[in-house]
Amino acid sequence: MTLNFQPLLEQWPYLLGGAWISLQIAVLAFAFGMLIGLLCAAVLRYGPRFARRIVSAYVIFATNTPQLVQIYFLFFALPEVGVTLSPFTAVLIGATFNAGAYLCEIQRAGFDSVRQMEIEAAEVLGFSTPQIIRHVILPHVLKVMFPPLSNQFIVMTLGTSMASIFGVEELTGRTYNLSSQTYLSVEAFSIAAVLYIAITLIATLVLASAGRYLFRAKIKAF
Amino acid sequence: MPQLEIVDLKASYGSQKVLEHINLSVEKGEIVSLIGPSGSGKSTLLRVLMGLLPPEQGTVRLDGKSVNYANKAEVRELRSSIAIVFQQYNLFQNMTVLENVMITPTRIKGWPKAQVEADAIRLLTRVGLAHRLKAYPDELSGGQQQRVAIARALALKPEVLLLDEVTAALDPELVTEVLDTIRELASEGITMFIVSHEMSFVREVSSKVVFMADGLVVESGSPQQIFDNPQEPRARDFVGKILRH
Ligand SMILES: Nc1ncnc2c1ncn2[C@@H]1O[C@H](COP(=O)(O)OP(=O)(O)OP(=O)(O)O)[C@@H](O)[C@H]1O
Ligand SMILES: [Mg+2]
Repeated sequence: MTLNFQPLLEQWPYLLGGAWISLQIAVLAFAFGMLIGLLCAAVLRYGPRFARRIVSAYVIFATNTPQLVQIYFLFFALPEVGVTLSPFTAVLIGATFNAGAYLCEIQRAGFDSVRQMEIEAAEVLGFSTPQIIRHVILPHVLKVMFPPLSNQFIVMTLGTSMASIFGVEELTGRTYNLSSQTYLSVEAFSIAAVLYIAITLIATLVLASAGRYLFRAKIKAF
Repeated sequence: MPQLEIVDLKASYGSQKVLEHINLSVEKGEIVSLIGPSGSGKSTLLRVLMGLLPPEQGTVRLDGKSVNYANKAEVRELRSSIAIVFQQYNLFQNMTVLENVMITPTRIKGWPKAQVEADAIRLLTRVGLAHRLKAYPDELSGGQQQRVAIARALALKPEVLLLDEVTAALDPELVTEVLDTIRELASEGITMFIVSHEMSFVREVSSKVVFMADGLVVESGSPQQIFDNPQEPRARDFVGKILRH
């Protein structure tokens, strides 16, 4: 078998553009998912029973069904109720829906790990409640959550390849297009694999060093 | 005028009365030790003084001014005049030794950083930890952590320091270093309340010993009086028991 990368490498702006879209989906879904997760974690901790039930049901559903099924569901269900979305938006909503549940669990565990004794220590030193949150709770929680959050982000980045199924021209989608135009499938997908590795590698390194620097989190990059 | 005056103090946990008729008057620089059986209310008295448990009745006067424990801001203010160290050295785990000592004066009080840092280093030198400024709590022994906690409590230059069984969670070989630190502070004229089971230490450093039982002050006096010649039967019983150990 002879490999011929040349025609594909000439298309690098097209492929990099695809990688950029993948990264956009991952970052946006992660950011919105964090917000939903925070809200859900707060409800689970402080909310009334009824609200806690709903959040629990959401988390159980979202973490126990395939993400692909969730996106399909949205993709077909939303137009039925009169909402038409671009493939990008539909995929983003699906990914956010899924991420919110995982990020809720991560944040809840983080908040549960705060040491009550440190809070009391801060109290007797004369800290006010906002000062306790700012100086004691948040730094601790961020540090504890950092490794699982980084992990989740990587998983989500790779998960964006599902978007190609719905016609979003991200990295996997564009690779598929090139492969069918040139019939150089093995080469095309090798390049995609290398690009995915590069993205996750860079993200892992950036996150690990940020974590080490900001939170003294002991994160193994590999 | 006494520096700290406790008048007819009463406190409860829910419906359970824990302190009653507590009267104590402490002069500046005095070292007052609270002793008594488990559950007698020693910790509770310190918690009330710190504003962690609102008193049900009675008055606490600091430098002649009575403290309003219902006022949150006043209680926060009080916490720079009275400091406490607990049995469990609950340092901030995400901060270095130096940051633990500096955070309250800089971030809460807004004191100038350079001055605070110089003071913090001086304090940490005094407790024998000048060489571990950049260490994190989980890299220190229990005795070292407890000494950092003492330095942290002193960072706001409190007038009164409360120590609640600060050596009780330590391995025996680490107790001495912490007691040495307290002994040194005692000689420097800061007013202290000490709850401790280290009776020979209590006897040595205290200017006054208060024996408590069932939420009451049963007897108080000089260490000689309480340890050698207690008047009240319950005090005699307690002292007899612990001295036989
Ligand atoms: N958080 C709490 N809630 C309810 N009751 C409490 C609480 N803390 C202490 N008590 C009760 O108050 C009483 C006094 O307890 P306290 O801790 O002040 O005793 P102590 O003299 O410090 O004892 P020890 O030597 O064991 O530390 C005890 O009967 C105890 O059971
Ligand atoms: Mg106690």
